[in-house]
Amino acid sequence: MADTTLANRRHTLGFALGGGALKYFSGWIAAVVVLASALPPIIAQYRSIDISAWYIAANSGKIFTAIVSGIFLYTLLAGMIAQGVTRRELAVSLGWFGLLWSAALGALAIAMFLGEHALYSAFDWSQTLQGDGGETRLDSVGAALEFSARYPLVYLLYFTGGAIIGAAAYRSDWGWLVLVPVVPVVLALDGALMRTEVWGPGWASAVTGAANGLGTWQAVAVVLVAVAAGAWIVRGILLGTQIRAKQA
Amino acid sequence: MSFSVSLRDVTLKYGDTEALSDVGLTLEAGKIYGLLGRNGAGKTSLLSLLAAFRKPSNGEVLVDGRPVWENIDVVSRVALVREGGDFDDSETVLATLETGSLRPDWDGDYALKLAERFELPLRKKVRDLSRGKRSVLGAVCGLAARAELAMFDEVHLGMDAPTRDAFYKELLAEYIDRPHTVILSTHLINEVANYLEEVVIVDKGRILRHEDVEAFQNMGATLTGPADVVDTAAAGLNVLAEQRLGGTKSVTVASALDPQTRERVVEAGVEIGPVGLQDLFIHLTNPDRTGA
Amino acid sequence: MFDDGAPIYRQIADQIKAEILNGSLEPGGKIMSTNQYAAFYQINPATAQKAFRELVDEGVLYKQRGVGMFVADDAREKLAGDFRARFFDDVLKPLVREARQAGIGLSDIIDYLQAQEGAPK
Repeated sequence: MADTTLANRRHTLGFALGGGALKYFSGWIAAVVVLASALPPIIAQYRSIDISAWYIAANSGKIFTAIVSGIFLYTLLAGMIAQGVTRRELAVSLGWFGLLWSAALGALAIAMFLGEHALYSAFDWSQTLQGDGGETRLDSVGAALEFSARYPLVYLLYFTGGAIIGAAAYRSDWGWLVLVPVVPVVLALDGALMRTEVWGPGWASAVTGAANGLGTWQAVAVVLVAVAAGAWIVRGILLGTQIRAKQA
Repeated sequence: MSFSVSLRDVTLKYGDTEALSDVGLTLEAGKIYGLLGRNGAGKTSLLSLLAAFRKPSNGEVLVDGRPVWENIDVVSRVALVREGGDFDDSETVLATLETGSLRPDWDGDYALKLAERFELPLRKKVRDLSRGKRSVLGAVCGLAARAELAMFDEVHLGMDAPTRDAFYKELLAEYIDRPHTVILSTHLINEVANYLEEVVIVDKGRILRHEDVEAFQNMGATLTGPADVVDTAAAGLNVLAEQRLGGTKSVTVASALDPQTRERVVEAGVEIGPVGLQDLFIHLTNPDRTGA
Repeated sequence: MFDDGAPIYRQIADQIKAEILNGSLEPGGKIMSTNQYAAFYQINPATAQKAFRELVDEGVLYKQRGVGMFVADDAREKLAGDFRARFFDDVLKPLVREARQAGIGLSDIIDYLQAQEGAPK
């Protein structure tokens, strides 16, 4: 952050936070990548491969993203205010953080799906997305690309959801209860966007499948609106947030 | 351009409890203030308002004449170091110091110089620091911020005596070098008394006193001498404490002695000494106190 | 560094006076700045300034704007005069009082002082 001037530090801070978080978790991310790449060839020794390993890894990245944004916000808030950063600046920098993080993880997801597709095709394995309620087979490069291209946006969705929960939990003792409305909305939008079953028991599809009737572009539009609304909500929560007293 | 401070009719509530009630306070720019008060008196609440950590439930908080809440030009030049600091515990000491560069006037070289002087382990994670080193890290962040309003809230906790002494020295050197407004909130009153220009005493959410440090010194006296003479001299005065050793008695009174009384008691073999700021503070904030 | 007796600014003022009287500060000589005093004694600069102001008011020091503080040319005579004026009240009075408490007669004191005066230095 060499040339951080006051006027633009919210941007530099955002990229620093995003870059810092990616660097901080780079070991974990690399481990998941290695695991998801190495497992199919190993398992192939014993049985035929009929599910996409990367699909599982990419989906766990969604929850991971929500946790990262929530925990980061919760733990960094006091420190940032103590460094003389305003809540408005923090909101903007969090936006950059979310965009950078989602873009990076989303790009990784796309690359890995395409790489996995090439590998599976070479061995004639089936790159199938397996959920509780059904299966979708990615039978062409185009299909793999079309499916995985949704990840940047879905990560951003989870990032926003996590940020709302983190901000609300910091702001008030009962704030974490916002996860009651936030979680089902995120899951429903996830379901609509990815057009696959998310996870969880069958009855949960009442929630996660609630918006499945939307077309792809409709779903993209709704998610974008939801992310924008969520960002506005996070900003609103932050603007009124008081820094908590320290525990004695 | 050190910052002045002004609170007008400020009330701060936590739920139903009022931490500060109708506080009015004006601090001129460029002085070192001592903020004294018993635990729970409202010191930290007051400082939290000045650093925009909190928003008042009522009233106006101005720093440098401007509302402080969400004011980037002001808050970026205000530093509040809370007890134990506000750090990301998973970061290293060095990375923590580097986040200081968010501030426009942050002096990274000075921070590193201080870190070396106070023997801060740069590579260590903040969570692995001892209590004392953690406090030192807070103090270093506060000094290197080169803020126009620097506030240290019980920053000494866990520091040993030489470290505290070194911190006060550094604070004074930095103040002499670059005039700015400093507020020290502490329970170690006698340790900091000489560094202060003015003292603000907070009690039960209100400003109890705000005076020059010398004014406090004139608020009381100790009389030591033959018991009967001391008793006569102290009769009718507000006695804070008394001690007796054989025929000698020592009383502390919370009133200034007029010159005639002074001369009379000295004549009678009584020694007059001043009352320390700390003793006065204890007296002024004593809940059983009556009158003045 | 300071005793608990008087306000610090007065102690500093007294010390400067003592240094002028004993000759370690020369008339016309420049004295250390407020900040130097503050750093040396570890006190608030305003406290040191208060001492200086008092000395300027008393005519012991004078200020040359932008240059610093100097010892007045007649400072030593002035202080010596002041001291003579206060000598009986400030020094002898308590001495006599303490002597009386110890049962030392006035004549004993006079005898002692005369012996001192006559004794070879």
